[in-house]
Amino acid sequence: MKSKQFNQRMWLYTLMIFITIITVGPFLITLFMSLKAANEGIYSSILPASPTLENFVTAFDKANFGMYFLNTLVVTVIAIPLNLLFCSLAAYPLARMDFRGRSVVLAVIISTMMVPFQLYMAPLFQLAGSLGLQNTHIGLVVMQVSTAFGIFLMRQAFLRIPKELEESAYLDGANKFKVWYLVALPLVKPTLVTLAIFTFMGTWGDYLWPLLNSTESSMYTLSIGLAQLSQNFDGSNLKLISAASILTTIPTLLIFIWLQKYFISGATDGAVKG
Amino acid sequence: MSREPVVLPNAKVKVGTQKKSRLSMRHVAPWFFLIPSLLILGTFLIIPILEAFQWSLLDYKIIAGTGEFVGLSNFKEIFTDANFWLALLNTFIFLIIVLPLNVFLPMILAVLVNQKIRGVSTFRILYYLPVVTPMVVAALMWKMLYSQSGIISGILVKLGLFDSPTNLLIQSSTALFAVSMITVWKGLGYYMIIYLAGLQSIPKDVYESASIDGASVFQQFRNITIPMLAPSVTLVSVMTIIAGMKVFEEIALTTGGGPSGATTTLVMYIYKKFMNLDVSIASAAGIVLLVLAIGASLLQMKLTSSREDDLRA
Repeated sequence: MKSKQFNQRMWLYTLMIFITIITVGPFLITLFMSLKAANEGIYSSILPASPTLENFVTAFDKANFGMYFLNTLVVTVIAIPLNLLFCSLAAYPLARMDFRGRSVVLAVIISTMMVPFQLYMAPLFQLAGSLGLQNTHIGLVVMQVSTAFGIFLMRQAFLRIPKELEESAYLDGANKFKVWYLVALPLVKPTLVTLAIFTFMGTWGDYLWPLLNSTESSMYTLSIGLAQLSQNFDGSNLKLISAASILTTIPTLLIFIWLQKYFISGATDGAVKG
Repeated sequence: MSREPVVLPNAKVKVGTQKKSRLSMRHVAPWFFLIPSLLILGTFLIIPILEAFQWSLLDYKIIAGTGEFVGLSNFKEIFTDANFWLALLNTFIFLIIVLPLNVFLPMILAVLVNQKIRGVSTFRILYYLPVVTPMVVAALMWKMLYSQSGIISGILVKLGLFDSPTNLLIQSSTALFAVSMITVWKGLGYYMIIYLAGLQSIPKDVYESASIDGASVFQQFRNITIPMLAPSVTLVSVMTIIAGMKVFEEIALTTGGGPSGATTTLVMYIYKKFMNLDVSIASAAGIVLLVLAIGASLLQMKLTSSREDDLRA
């Protein structure tokens, strides 16, 4: 009986390790590739013979990845607080106040969630150009500073908190803004973290909009810099592409390791997004 | 007046009727909260969406910024364009490949990481890594793996599936399959979490009584786990369809829609039209995409609401 259980466990671990090779393997191969020296063959072996950071130095020095990193960071740092603020503001009356036009506003916001970006990217591109937002950080971030999904997510969170706390604050004479800020907002902190994660992931890895809006390389984000670099996919360039890929991924991995719990709970929250 | 507990609805009415200024505040206050978002979404989302509808009926020149009304001729043009139908077909084939894999592989992962054995939380994290990888990075890593001298081609030759090293991305017969594997890889961990939430809502005593009755692990999986996960299967399927219709980076950065249109999905078709500055054609094709997306979302709503009815019954 014991050995049967032991066998079963061995099978489980073998299977789980096999799956790990599939999910993590591509990262390791890319990491090893990025550590290979210039004179080393690309496909001669998976492991680097004499690991070096020279490809990372080249990415910063010659390929401008320091600047792309900074651009991406600026855009993300603008997007997260503004999206949290504007979405949690807009979501509150939609969850808690009775006013004329509420159902219309809510219906419009929720239905925009179904609209694919590719439908309106051309008009948006023209609009950003005419507003002078092309090749600016603000232009890069306009799609992320308030999102229909964020409003939807925050509204769900406000709907879940018990009304009594807010009602008693009103009886104490607090106004709506104070109740939102001092009573409701602290109660939805976990959802704020989830939304911050969604905003970070959406902004950091965004590709299509920065591709359209940043025509000058001084405004490239990491995704665009990486895509441009990969235009030359020759063997000679693969080590540099790998180093740049690792650079682009490290911040998302760090945030993931830091906030794992919220990533997991956020995954099921986001499932209703559609 | 007594100081006994106040009945809340009454209190609300009182605040509303006591002073006139309070009454008008009640109507104005919500809009103060809403204004920043309404301005941003109105300008950068709603107006562009409405313009896309308008452009689909025009012969719009994006550089000149004008266009003449042409009725439905843009739609006529795409519906008579063989490339458009190929793009629809490719989108459909892509979904047919991805859907069963997205439904079953993450389910197996979820069952594995739901076992009460040592180290299981580490595996959960390792399976989730692809989800947090930026899509551009994922696409380029796989492009590297797929290259002719790369590891996948080596494995395929060793398995005897190909005689000589082959890059699956540049063969028109295998390219769409190859890019869909990137999508599946990236989504494994995400859908695993959806299933895990479903698994953890199954009462444990169901398994206990089954194993007392002598049901094997496999029988338990087939007769308890799969039926109990039906709601999660619905959710994963619809999410796969909605996300799959919008697949872009995996294709744009690996094959660019080629070879000879073999991986040009509907979104790639729209993108190419836009890059040629055929924005009215792109808008018309975008509306087709929107109709499909709405269809999938309505399907989701219908399925989830009928599921809630089931739960209530």
